Amino acid sequence: MAANGSGEGRAPLLSIRNVETFYGAVMAIRGASLDVEEGRIVTILGANGAGKTTLMKTISGVMDPDKGQILFDGEEIQGREPDAIVRKGIAHVPEGREIFPFLTVEENLMMGAYTRKDRGNLPADLEMVFGYFPILKERRSQQAAFLSGGQQQMLAIGRGLMTKPRLMLLDEPSLGLSPILVQEIFAIIRRLNKEQGVTILLVEQNANVALRTADYGYVLEIGRIVMADTTARLLESEDIQEFYLGVQGETQREQKRWKRRKTWR
Amino acid sequence: MQVWSGKRDPNKDYGSIDGCDTVARLFLDRCRKFSARTAHREKDFGIWKSYSWADYYDHAQWIGLGLVKLGLEPGDVVSILSEDTKEWFYADMGIVCAGGVPNGVYTTDAASQLAYLVNDSSSKFLIVENDEQLDKFLEVRDRMPTLSKVIVIDRDGLRAFRDDKVMFADELYDIGREEARRHPGRFEELANAVKPDDLRTLIYTSGTTGRPKGAMVTHANVLFQLNSCFQVVSIFDSDEQLCFLPLCHVLERLFSTDAQIGVGNTINFAESPETVFENIQEVSPHMFTAVPRFWEKVYSRLQIARKEATILGRWAFDRAVAAGMARAEYAQVGEPVPAGVQARYAVWDFLVLSNLRRMIGMDRLRRAGTGAAPISPELLRWFWAIGVPLFEGFGQTETTGVVSINDFGANKIGTIGACLPGVEARIAPDGEIQTRGPHVFKGYWNAPEKTADAMTEDGWLRTGDVGRVDNEGYFTITGRIKDIIITAGGKNITPAEIESAIKFSPYVSDAVIIGDRRKYLTCLVMIDQENVENFAQEHRVPFGDFASLCRAPEVVELIRGEIDRVNREFARVEQVKDFRLIDILLTAEDDELTPTMKLKRSFVEKKHAPLIESMYASA
Repeated sequence: MAANGSGEGRAPLLSIRNVETFYGAVMAIRGASLDVEEGRIVTILGANGAGKTTLMKTISGVMDPDKGQILFDGEEIQGREPDAIVRKGIAHVPEGREIFPFLTVEENLMMGAYTRKDRGNLPADLEMVFGYFPILKERRSQQAAFLSGGQQQMLAIGRGLMTKPRLMLLDEPSLGLSPILVQEIFAIIRRLNKEQGVTILLVEQNANVALRTADYGYVLEIGRIVMADTTARLLESEDIQEFYLGVQGETQREQKRWKRRKTWR
Repeated sequence: MQVWSGKRDPNKDYGSIDGCDTVARLFLDRCRKFSARTAHREKDFGIWKSYSWADYYDHAQWIGLGLVKLGLEPGDVVSILSEDTKEWFYADMGIVCAGGVPNGVYTTDAASQLAYLVNDSSSKFLIVENDEQLDKFLEVRDRMPTLSKVIVIDRDGLRAFRDDKVMFADELYDIGREEARRHPGRFEELANAVKPDDLRTLIYTSGTTGRPKGAMVTHANVLFQLNSCFQVVSIFDSDEQLCFLPLCHVLERLFSTDAQIGVGNTINFAESPETVFENIQEVSPHMFTAVPRFWEKVYSRLQIARKEATILGRWAFDRAVAAGMARAEYAQVGEPVPAGVQARYAVWDFLVLSNLRRMIGMDRLRRAGTGAAPISPELLRWFWAIGVPLFEGFGQTETTGVVSINDFGANKIGTIGACLPGVEARIAPDGEIQTRGPHVFKGYWNAPEKTADAMTEDGWLRTGDVGRVDNEGYFTITGRIKDIIITAGGKNITPAEIESAIKFSPYVSDAVIIGDRRKYLTCLVMIDQENVENFAQEHRVPFGDFASLCRAPEVVELIRGEIDRVNREFARVEQVKDFRLIDILLTAEDDELTPTMKLKRSFVEKKHAPLIESMYASA
């Protein structure tokens, strides 16, 4: 049963079922279930502390869930080592980029291909990445630490691409970037999805750009999924508009400090 | 019709306490007597702060005299729109002593409802808690001609706000303080001018059908109620209480405001309705009364805690509850407990139950009460088993709170108790419980026809509840008259008992039986989100949002099982043949729920008509 109700008949590429992840005694994910169909861009929205990064880490194997299953292409991957999960075809582009600062741009990219056995294809793939991010080609011999924030984000995504993933987990790619850069990078993300056929699970606080880039969205609040729908319908939801898109209803006074109760309808 | 009544004490004056025959006089007397003692405790940024009876007096005086200076005349209504805070109490007493009539408005009410209540009561003033409530006023400000001023208590978020109809509490205090300085003794003068037959408050009943009606409660009503209650229920001035139910509701108002003035004990405020479970742990009250929904939630939480315990933990829990049940059989009816049973209980109490009670903040609880809605007898027994003496009582807004009550030595679980002293009750031929006495209200504000409808020709109040009485005068309610379902086959069903039984399940938050003029009974169920999510997790049932949880076949089966379990206890004609789950999370602001979180039958039937039709489509 596809939790996103798309009914296409084919099993989703990634399926998360009843996952519970703890930090010590604190339950960070309280029973989340969601699906990502192959070829789509799916987004998970949530404020700080909602559990988005925890969920990403649980998928990529950095954390193990206490309960639940994670199915990738029909196979259970929860609890496996992160490198095994990378070899299966999942690339995790972490929150905050985490590029290797003392390696050059090119070395960073080649690190992405560390687990690949088909070394012969690497030069072509490198050119592919440079095709999407020309600035990285310009700076290929520079130490990654000297790149700007936006360039580092491109590098992180490029590094992820070099694993030749079927599924890319993008954790808050818009963090710390100027609005123009955000538009640029998300345009590239859309192209990657269309042209390279990479399925993308996108976690974002910037609900605006996420809802305009993805096809389907989940809203996570304190470890629970409170809403799941196509991004078109999410954009129309009053709760999303007020709490994630900053749209304020009509008010009698100029500034309103209090928030209405969320109803998730 | 046989009349039952609680025995009056012939030497007692039920109309006054310590020589005070109005709440106003009683308030002044208590403030004089207790002045430095702590009256209220409230959390300020997470830290408990204490406020004395002297603070209570001062602020009440400033509010009362301030309002009088602004034009409050005796008999004028002042509406209060605020969560439970000490200022609610200050305003309540300030208005009462100034000769006005307080009227509480639920904070879950929408702006249009506020306008209706202000207009219906012809309120001259409106006291609001903060910016959020103020915005409700601003939305409908042009629709309330009787209002002359709105007073806001909390300035936060309103520094730049200016409006000639709006002022702030500290400004009112200044005016009142100045009045007190100029006319010493004026406040006492006004308070002493209040007469027992004057209105102590207006309480609007949360009309499930039609618009809310304002019940007029007099000082005489309240003094009688206090005297009568205190004869049965002991409250000591050292008792700590927790205030969290809306003060607009007669239950909290009577037990927190009026009873406190009668006794002189301390009221602690819960930070919000959501934090009650934490707050009750911090306060650990000696005396506590709440609605059944609260007791159901506590039960749920403990059941979840039990599920998450180790095997040894679960075993210990079950043995402890069993030992408690054995003892409760004697204790709940006031009979001496056999030594063996008591010893076994003492062991388990020491090992498990006392910790359990500490977890839920009931380790000092001497007496617990439930009322305002039906509660499952199983649930009552369960609380007795874990050492919480929980008594059921019955009353309404129109009876100033309590008609009948159970207590130590006079407790029959499943009944609403015997009449309070001075209260008369009888069962009418059609089964309706009717009552007469000094506790019955003065009538509905500006609605003489509705008042007449509520009374019988010979002067008894129609409670609207049907029931029966046993040979010792203990009443049992079977349901509301209005709720009686007459099936297509002509059978009379009172749905309340069936609903209560269904609600006992930890997976069900509320249930409404449908069946009027239908071939068979069906049910709309509101599931308990936390418990059902836990179930889904345990059984690896995937779910996304709340609606998808309700759609999961395993959840539907789970609820089906609960309903089947209940069906076994009831007659063939009372079988619930089908059910549907309400797949949206309802809040007190929705039409379908009352402020005390009960499903409103008629609204539910209207709003979910298609869902209901789908259950009868095949018929």
